[in-house]
Amino acid sequence: MSDPIVVKTVEDLRNAPEEYREAIAKLVISHAINELYGAQVFDEPAIAYAPTPYAKWLTCRVAMEEYGHHVRFKQLGVQMGIPEERMMPGVGKRPLSIFEFPLKTWQEFVAIKLLADLAEILQVEDLLHCTFHPLRNLARATMPEERFHAQFGEDFTAELIKTPEGKATLQAAINEYFPYLPSFFGGSKSKNNEIFRKWNIKQRTNDEMRQDFMKRATEVTTKYGLTLPEVRQAA
Amino acid sequence: MSQVVVLPRVVLDQVRAELRAAAWFAALGEPLTDGDRADADAYARALGLGTLLLGQARDWPEAERVLQAPDWSPAWWDREEAQRLRLLAEAEARYPERTLWTALTELTTELGNTVHGRAGVAAARMGGAAKASVHVAAGAAAQAAYQLALARLAEDAASPFESKFRLFAAGRWPLGVVGSRLVLF
Repeated sequence: MSDPIVVKTVEDLRNAPEEYREAIAKLVISHAINELYGAQVFDEPAIAYAPTPYAKWLTCRVAMEEYGHHVRFKQLGVQMGIPEERMMPGVGKRPLSIFEFPLKTWQEFVAIKLLADLAEILQVEDLLHCTFHPLRNLARATMPEERFHAQFGEDFTAELIKTPEGKATLQAAINEYFPYLPSFFGGSKSKNNEIFRKWNIKQRTNDEMRQDFMKRATEVTTKYGLTLPEVRQAA
Repeated sequence: MSQVVVLPRVVLDQVRAELRAAAWFAALGEPLTDGDRADADAYARALGLGTLLLGQARDWPEAERVLQAPDWSPAWWDREEAQRLRLLAEAEARYPERTLWTALTELTTELGNTVHGRAGVAAARMGGAAKASVHVAAGAAAQAAYQLALARLAEDAASPFESKFRLFAAGRWPLGVVGSRLVLF
C-alpha cells in the first residue's frame, strides 16, 4: 500500500507522482467524453420522443445537466492542462458500448434513465471520497443531478406501467438495453482500476461495483413489477 | 466555398446580458398586460399559427395540467423545432460547428442554475408546485435561451424566438398551445 496522498488543488497536482496524475487525467477524460456521449445520443434525441410538453421540458433539463457535467469535467481537464480535443468524442478514445444503442422510443429512454443513470450514480459515488479534491468536489456537485435523472427514470416508469401496453413496451426496452450495462463497469482485471484504488482515487473494484449495480437494478425493477434479462458478466 | 469566421463575441455578450436581466418566472399567475398579449400574438404569428385565443394558467397545478393536456398541439412544438433546425443550419453555415456548439452549450449551462433557482423561488412563493415542475420550468427557460442565441447568431430578427424570449424576460412562461389556445403562465 502506498503512503496516503491528498491533493487539494489543481496546482498541487503538478507535484503529485506521475502515475497519480495520469490516473486522474484518465478519469477526467473518460467522464468528460461519456457525459457528452450520453447527452448527444440519448438525452437530446429523447426530447422529440417525450409525450407531452411537461416531459419534453423535463428532458430538456436533464439533457442540459448532462451537457453541464461534460462542461464541468472539461473545465477541470483544461485547468489540469489536458487539451480540449482529448475530452471530446471523435478524437482518440472510442465510446463505450452502451452508447452504440440507437434510441428509437420514449420507453427506451425511460429504461436508460432508470438503469444507465443508476450505473452512472455508482461511478460518481465512487469518487465522493477521491483523494484529488477538485475531482471529489465535482463528483459531489454532480451527484444530486444524477440522482434526479435516475428519479426521472423511476417517475416515468411508474407512469408507463399503469397500462399493460406501457409496461410491456418498457419491459421490452429493458430486455434490449440492459445487456449493454454490466460492461460499463470495466473488466475484472482492470489495471486502471488497480491504480485508482492504489491511490484512493476510487474505492471499489469493477466487480464490486458491478455486483452492487446488479443488486440495485434488480431492486428498482422489481419495485415496478419488471424484470432484468439474464446477461453474461464481464470477465 | 463559404467563408467561415469566428463567433461574434459581441452578439453572444449581448444575449448573455439580456438573459441575466430577464425577470425569469417573476410574473407567473399575475394578470396579463397589453405587452404580454402583444408578445404572445407576435409569437403565434411568427410561428405561422395565426391568431390564437390567449389563455392563462393562474397557479402551478393549473400550469401542470396544461403541460400534460391530452389535446396539446404537436404542430406548435414541431413548428418551433423546424425553426430551430433552420436557424441552426444557418448558424452552422456561418460559424465553425464545434465552436458554435461549444458556445451554445456553455451559454445554456451557465444559465441553468439561474433559471432553476428563479423557478424554485417562484414555486416556493406561490406554493402547490410538483417537485419536478421546477426542473420543467428550468428546461423550458434554457430552451428559450438557446433558441434566442440561435436566432441572434443567424441574424433572424423576425424569429418567433425573439417574442418568445420577451415573454420569459417579462416574467411569463409560455406553456404552449392546447386546442385553439396559446396558454401563458
